[in-house]
Amino acid sequence: MNYLDVLKSTKNVMTPGSSACQGCGGELITRRVMQIAGENSVYAIPPGCMAGAGVDGWNFSNGCSAPIHITLLDNTASFMSGVSEMYQRRGRTDVNIVAIAGDGATADCGFQSLSGAAERGTKMLYICYDNEGYMNTGYQRSSTTSLGSSTSTTPAGAAINGKEQQQKYLPLIMAMHEVEYCAAASPSNMPDLVRKIQKGLEAGKRGFAYLHVFSPCPTGWKFAPDQSIEVGKKAVASNMFPIWEKENGQFKVTVNRNPISVAEFVKGIGKFSKLTADEIDAIQEMVDRRYQTLLHLAGE
Amino acid sequence: MMTDKRFVTPLGNDGIYCLDTAAWRTHRPVMDKDKCVNCGICMSFCPVNSVYFEEGQYLISYDYCKGCGICAVECPKKAIGMKPEGGK
Repeated sequence: MNYLDVLKSTKNVMTPGSSACQGCGGELITRRVMQIAGENSVYAIPPGCMAGAGVDGWNFSNGCSAPIHITLLDNTASFMSGVSEMYQRRGRTDVNIVAIAGDGATADCGFQSLSGAAERGTKMLYICYDNEGYMNTGYQRSSTTSLGSSTSTTPAGAAINGKEQQQKYLPLIMAMHEVEYCAAASPSNMPDLVRKIQKGLEAGKRGFAYLHVFSPCPTGWKFAPDQSIEVGKKAVASNMFPIWEKENGQFKVTVNRNPISVAEFVKGIGKFSKLTADEIDAIQEMVDRRYQTLLHLAGE
Repeated sequence: MMTDKRFVTPLGNDGIYCLDTAAWRTHRPVMDKDKCVNCGICMSFCPVNSVYFEEGQYLISYDYCKGCGICAVECPKKAIGMKPEGGK
């Protein structure tokens, strides 16, 4: 089935009037996931943009037509482990157990419970929409924030020039947990994203499935809302966010033969406006090294 | 009162409880049906699911559209234009 037919024929589970910003990548991802997983699912969304935007109900407004729970920032995966176990014991293996969390609730606060659930092989699908920071509270730095990003806790100024550390590459860490399915995807490549969500849901019935999705944030990163998908395309084209999957122990990288430079990617994004040439070189070096590691793992 | 059968939201005594995100819009996307080839790319990228498919063609619903303009930028045929909303 073509991805457009999938999106055309599925029901909109999430509330229409969510208070996510204009051009929000996280909202796009959450809607696509909920459309494909459908109503026969149990969702968990920890505090973060999607919970704040009212996906799981807010001030008697909005809501969701499937069971949904707002967990704590650090216990999403362990909470869903219990839910999953209950459904397995009752023989309800048809129910999708889905967690949709931001990068803060995945890579920082929620990492301990996530790592535990992945190691135990809990039957669920965990989706991280990676907007590289704590956007809901005004863009504080997180461990996945890229080097040189001007955030509210690492403002570019006289003392420092944005975040001083490189970002943590979480999808590869999760792949090393030997999970059933692990993938990195971007909403700018929608057919690929839809296919990976379908695969993830299917793998989530057999074991732990993890999906890391790039989520451009117009408000936090300071670019025009209509450029969201373009930023996603450039991130993939520059290998800032390579897309790949790991299935049955095999890595499969969507090979990008002619990558554009990181300098091209950072152009027009406000949080990178103070980047120096040295910092761009440092990011480029890290990006190249990471891509070579991925190619090596895939045997390319 | 906002009612739309394509969407599902909680029902209260006085109707559907839902944010009126259409009020945020400063520009509205207008589709030029002569240029449109029904490829569906606007639908796949709309973060608010405001583009829908009905009777063989893609249409834009203005009930909740926030006017982000992604559809206008991504349309391969440039069939969608952003028109300023009229004042009240």
